[in-house]
Amino acid sequence: MSKILLKKKDREKKVEKPFFTERKEYRPEGVKETGLALVGHEISEDGYVMNQFLHYDQLYTIRHGWNSRFFKGLLEGKIWGTRCPKCGDTWVPVRTHCWNLDCNLQKTEWVEMPLKAKVHTWTVAGWSGRSSLKRLPIVLVYGVVEGSKVAIANELHGIDPWDVEFDMPLKIVFKPEEERVGAVTDFHFEPADSWEPSPMNEEKERIKHLIEPVYDWVKTFK
Amino acid sequence: MTRKVCVVGGATTPFDYGPTGFESIEGGAAECIRETQEDIPEFSLRDIDLMVYSHFSVHFGHQLAAEWIIHDHLGLVGLPHYRVENGGNTGGSALYAAALAVMSGHHDVVGIVGWETMDSVTQSQGSEFIAMASDIRYELMVGGIYPIYYAAMANKWMKDNNVTEEDVATIGAKNRNNAMDNPKTQWYRNENRYITVEDVMNSRLISYPIKKYDCCLMSRGVAFVLICSEEYAKKVNPDRYATIDGMGLSSCTIRAGDRLNFPGWTEQYGPNYPEMTEFGACRNSAEQAYKMAGIKNPLKEIDFGEIHDAFSTSEAQIYKALGLADENTIAQFLRDERTHMHSDIPMNPGGGLMGYGHPVGATGLMSTIECFYQITDMVPSKHLSRKTEVPDAECGIVNSHAGTGTSISNFILRRH
Ligand SMILES: [Zn+2]
Repeated sequence: MSKILLKKKDREKKVEKPFFTERKEYRPEGVKETGLALVGHEISEDGYVMNQFLHYDQLYTIRHGWNSRFFKGLLEGKIWGTRCPKCGDTWVPVRTHCWNLDCNLQKTEWVEMPLKAKVHTWTVAGWSGRSSLKRLPIVLVYGVVEGSKVAIANELHGIDPWDVEFDMPLKIVFKPEEERVGAVTDFHFEPADSWEPSPMNEEKERIKHLIEPVYDWVKTFK
Repeated sequence: MTRKVCVVGGATTPFDYGPTGFESIEGGAAECIRETQEDIPEFSLRDIDLMVYSHFSVHFGHQLAAEWIIHDHLGLVGLPHYRVENGGNTGGSALYAAALAVMSGHHDVVGIVGWETMDSVTQSQGSEFIAMASDIRYELMVGGIYPIYYAAMANKWMKDNNVTEEDVATIGAKNRNNAMDNPKTQWYRNENRYITVEDVMNSRLISYPIKKYDCCLMSRGVAFVLICSEEYAKKVNPDRYATIDGMGLSSCTIRAGDRLNFPGWTEQYGPNYPEMTEFGACRNSAEQAYKMAGIKNPLKEIDFGEIHDAFSTSEAQIYKALGLADENTIAQFLRDERTHMHSDIPMNPGGGLMGYGHPVGATGLMSTIECFYQITDMVPSKHLSRKTEVPDAECGIVNSHAGTGTSISNFILRRH
């Protein structure tokens, strides 16, 4: 196996380990690894059924490896894409090898992308996973970063949710540097400066009607 | 020439969510097999020569290799076993794997047990677990849950095909109302009421255009399917078996945004397909299944289906991917209620994921079982009435679907 994966000069070498010189902690309060812990149980009135409560939290390391430049780029306020030197296809999200079967898994090269995109499709979320509930309603768009062959999902800010539309021009906006964590949440989309919302219509009224209770619901969270 | 594969029996536990007197996964598997034995008294556990297990997420079960618990509980030590996992298409993929085993001639009688216990965590935690089957580096953090991805895809699909919110809402009402005739379904057991299109339209927003009653249920449940060679089917259940005349399995991108311009699709179907709107893997696997079963005109030749209605929008998208309608006819196809019980190609008479429930690893098997019941005239004994029986059903389609359309299988079952 190793003969296939390693170049000849690498064969004598042991694994080269990266030397991590920059480390940042931004652990939210209360996030801790407890391992396995039984924390309680319940038994039904008739005594026939028992439920037991097990708590388990574990710290994972997401090793970005060859994709690292994309995530490190986010810390620097940059969107990196990759491009196939053979066929020229370019992607955000990145691919480290070309998707074109004729290119035979050609390794791609890194290219810095413009901070411009276009809405491919969109939705307005009124419900989400536990960690996103407070941000509702969320306008989620799949945006095509200028030059990319594919679309990337992210939130659209700076707009009344009902005003989002297909093909609208976007700019990519990063959080302040000190708030970035090297994840896709470091940036979001905003309407391009040139864009103006179109007048209200039936569909916009419908979306407005559907999200009204969402605003009220979110207010009830601490 | 490969051997014919038959579905000869199967059953599910009731599907539920929350603190009922659940029998345990291994107990549930045993009960499903006991019910199958009531239907086919000639079937003995000793006849099985391979067990395939169908289970999606150890996050829900909090038990790695839980199939090992089930397997020895069934008394089947020594028998070969393995587990298949393929997202929402886990059940379909397990059926595919089991069918290949019989087709090859290497195995004769294969049992498939599928399960999921999604009520081991809260609903919102469960949604996040499922979303971990999206690319967590790019999508989990910004979307958070699967319905958001489906809503984004469906929103554009509906615009491109002139389909309205009301058009798809008919599906949300249809499947729940079908479930009202099926005593094992989660909707019947827990909500137990008929709903209207208006109820769907007025249900709370999940992600535009998808609302609560456009979404399937999170469930706990177990299912068992018995497949075999035709020789064995003729031996144990000569009057009631179905043949798997066609099957197909296909794949698409994990991130829906990546299927724009994908060379593999462009090569097969030309540019701008599947876009972010169509289920390419559904079309592709259906084409494989139709070819194998000799089906030229699915709308005419298929009598009904049990398909993956994770969302009412996706059921509508699946109609199109199965070739039942095209971009010019799909809106009218929906408005004419062609897939309702009273019409020509009923879809999800068993209740589907929205009515029966969606305990992921058991779901595709549940669809297979409901299809099998229709084809073998067992609906009157399994459902509450004949309201959800497809009269004289000769040919049904089973569809199992994963990710954002990332893995999809289709099966053609026929009366023998
Ligand atoms: Zn290339």
